[in-house]
Amino acid sequence: MSALDELRRLRRSGTAVRKRDNKAAFWFLAPWFAGLLFVTIGPVAASFGLGFTKYNLIQPPKFIGLDNFGRIFTDERLHNALGVTFTYVLVSVPLQLAFALGVAMLLDRGLRGLAFYRSAFYLPSLLGSSVAIAVLWTQIFGAEGMVNRVLALFGIQGKGWISDPDTALSTLIVLNVWTFGAPMIIFLAGLRQIPAVYYEAAAIDGVGRWSRFRHITLPLLSPIIFFNLVLQIIHAFQSFTQAFVVSGGTGGPSDSTMFYTLYLYQQGFSRFDMGYASALAWFLLLIIGAFTAINFWAARFWVFYDD
Amino acid sequence: MLTQVIRRAVWPVLLSLTATLMVACSSGSGADGELSTEPVTLRFTWWGADDRHKRTQQVIELFQKQHPNITVRGEFKEWNGYWDSLATTVAANDAPDIIQMDELYLASYAERGALLDLNEARKHLDTSGFDGKALATGAIDGKQYALPVGLAAYSVVVNTDLLAKYGVALPDDTKWTWEDLRKAGEQVSKAGGGTVWGIQSWGFNDAGGLHVWARQAGSALFDDQGKVVVPPKVLQDYWTYLLDIAKAGTAPPPPVTVEKASAGLNQSATATNTAAFAMWWNTQLTALTAASGAKLKLLRLPGEAQAKAPAAYYKPSMFWSVSSRTKHPAEAAAFVNFLANNEEAAKVLLTERGVPANEKTRAAITGQLKETDKAAADFLGTLPVSDPPRVTPNGASTIEAILKRHTENVLFGRATPEQTAAAFIKELQSEVDSAR
Repeated sequence: MSALDELRRLRRSGTAVRKRDNKAAFWFLAPWFAGLLFVTIGPVAASFGLGFTKYNLIQPPKFIGLDNFGRIFTDERLHNALGVTFTYVLVSVPLQLAFALGVAMLLDRGLRGLAFYRSAFYLPSLLGSSVAIAVLWTQIFGAEGMVNRVLALFGIQGKGWISDPDTALSTLIVLNVWTFGAPMIIFLAGLRQIPAVYYEAAAIDGVGRWSRFRHITLPLLSPIIFFNLVLQIIHAFQSFTQAFVVSGGTGGPSDSTMFYTLYLYQQGFSRFDMGYASALAWFLLLIIGAFTAINFWAARFWVFYDD
Repeated sequence: MLTQVIRRAVWPVLLSLTATLMVACSSGSGADGELSTEPVTLRFTWWGADDRHKRTQQVIELFQKQHPNITVRGEFKEWNGYWDSLATTVAANDAPDIIQMDELYLASYAERGALLDLNEARKHLDTSGFDGKALATGAIDGKQYALPVGLAAYSVVVNTDLLAKYGVALPDDTKWTWEDLRKAGEQVSKAGGGTVWGIQSWGFNDAGGLHVWARQAGSALFDDQGKVVVPPKVLQDYWTYLLDIAKAGTAPPPPVTVEKASAGLNQSATATNTAAFAMWWNTQLTALTAASGAKLKLLRLPGEAQAKAPAAYYKPSMFWSVSSRTKHPAEAAAFVNFLANNEEAAKVLLTERGVPANEKTRAAITGQLKETDKAAADFLGTLPVSDPPRVTPNGASTIEAILKRHTENVLFGRATPEQTAAAFIKELQSEVDSAR
C-alpha cells in the first residue's frame, strides 16, 4: 500500500516538474515563435492578400482582383525567366547530385584523413550562396579572370563568360554544382548503411564494378537519392543571390541569368509593383509544389525501400 | 496546454510591441520646429565614386563641428546598387533622412509620398541663392521635393594621351559628326592592337545619351504628358550605330563592353585607359581623371552642329531630398542647408557633384577650382543648350535597365535594331501606363 502511495506521489511531482519544464521550454522558444509569427507566417499571409492588389510599397494597396495572376500568362519576360530557371534546375541539380555521389563513393573507400576531406568538400556548400562567393565568381569568370588566364596558357583566347548571354547561365550552373557538399554528406551516410555482405556476395560471384554499382548501390541508395533530389530541386528553384550578384541585380546580359526569384524581386523593388511580385511568389509556390508532387509520384517507379 | 500558454503569453508580447512602436512614433517633431539640443543622428545616403566619398565625409565633419549634438552617418554606394538599396529601405520604413536623388527617380518617389516638401522646412533651409528655373526642376505640382545640387551636361570624354600615342588627330568638336567619331575611333582601335579601343560603347546606364540622340533628330523621348513619342526609326539608327562600331571592332567586343558597363566608373574603359572616346556627364571628368591618371578632355557631342537646335541641355546633376518619414525634419533640413549654402562646404565639394546650381556658392568657388573642375565648369559655360527634357515620368525610372537589356539584345544579335526599337518603345510606354 505504502509503495503504491509512494509511486503516486512520485508521479504527481513528476508531472509538476514536467509542467514547469514545458513552461520554461516555451519561454525559451518564444523568440522563435515570435519570429515565425511576425517574420514568416505574417508576411506569407499578407503576400497572399497583396497578390490581388496594386501596391507600390508606400501608398495603400488597391484591390484589382485577379489581374496580377492574369498577367502571369501574358508576361513574356516572365516566360523567359521561367525558361532560364527550368534550365538551371534541370541541368544543375542532376549534375550536382551525380558529382556529389561520385565524390561520396570515393570518400567511402576509407581514405586516411576522411574527416578532413569530408569537411573540405563540404565547405563550398556553406559558402556557395553567399555574396562573397558570387563576387569571387565574377572575378574567376570575368574577361580578365582566372579561367581565361589558365586558358591563355594553352593558347586559347577566352571571353567574358559572365557578360556573354550564351555562357552566363552556365557559370551559375557550375557554381551550383560546386556546392555539392550537403548532398554528398547525405550520400556518404547512405553508403555506409549498405550492408557489406551484398558486395562480398557479389564479389564472390564475380560481379563487375559497374554491375555492383548498378544493382546494389543504386537501388539501396535510391531513397537517399530521392531525398536529395527533392531537396535540391526546391533549393535550386529558390536560388537568388548568385544571379543577383553575378549580374549586378539586372539578370543580364539580355535576361540570360534572370532567375524567377530575381524577376520577382525586380517587380517588387525596382518597378515597385509589390502586388504582382506577391502573385509571382505564390505562383512559384505552385510550381515547386507541382515539381515535388511529380517527384513523389515518379518515386514509385524507381525508389526502392529495403524494409 | 500549449494553446493555454500561448493565450497567456499573447497579451504581454502584444503590449510590449505596442509600447516600442509608440516610443518610436513619438520622438519626431515638425520641419519648422526648433533644432533639437539633444543628440540627434541623421542618416545621409549618396551614390558615387571614391573621390565623392572623401569630399562628402569632410563636409559631414565640418557640419558636425558646427552642430556637436548632431551626428551624420554616411551610407554610400555605387550607382548600380544604390537604387535597390534605397527602394528596400524606403519600403521597410527605414529610409535615410537625407537622400541624394536623381531626376530619373524624383517623380517616382515624390508621387508615392516618400519625400518631404522642403517648403515646410523653409525656416532652416535657405533657397535664395537658386534661380527660380533651377528650383523648378525639383518641384512637382508646386511642392519642392528636391533641391538641385549642380548642373551637368552630356559630353564625350576623350583621352588625349591615347590620341597622341597613336597619332590620331583631336577632332574639332564644334563641327564633328557621328561619322567623324566613328572614324577617329577606328584609327585608335587599329593602332590599339586589340587591347585599346576607339570608343567605349554606350546604351547602358545612359538615359542622357538617349535623350540627346532623340533631340538631335528633332524629337524627344517623352512629351509633356509623359507619353513616349520618339519615332522607332530614330532609335533604330541609335542601335544600328552601336552595333556597327561593335562589329567593326571600333568598340570592344560585346562581353567586354557589358562587363565594363556594369563595373562602375573606376573600372570603366575610360578610367582604365582602354578606350579613347566615351560618353559621360561633364562633371565626371575629375573622378575619371583621378582614376585613369591620363589627360582627359571634354568634347561636345557629335552631331550637335548638324541638328536644328542644340540637343544638349543642363541636367540637374542630382538633388538633395529629405525623407517624408524622417524623425528629425528640422535637423535634416539644416544639414541640406549646410550642403547647399555653406561656403566652406562648397569649397570642399567644388564641382564634383556638378557646377553648383546655387549661384552664390558658384561665385564663391570659382577661384578655387582645380584644373579638371575648371575645365568642367568652362565646358558647361560655353556649351550651346536647349531647355531640358521633362522630368522622367513615374514608372519610367527603370528606363536605364530597360535600355541596357535592349542594347545587349542588339549587341549579342538576339534582336535587330529595328525589332529592338519597337520593343523598347512598347515596353517603356507600358511602364509609364502601369504606374498611373
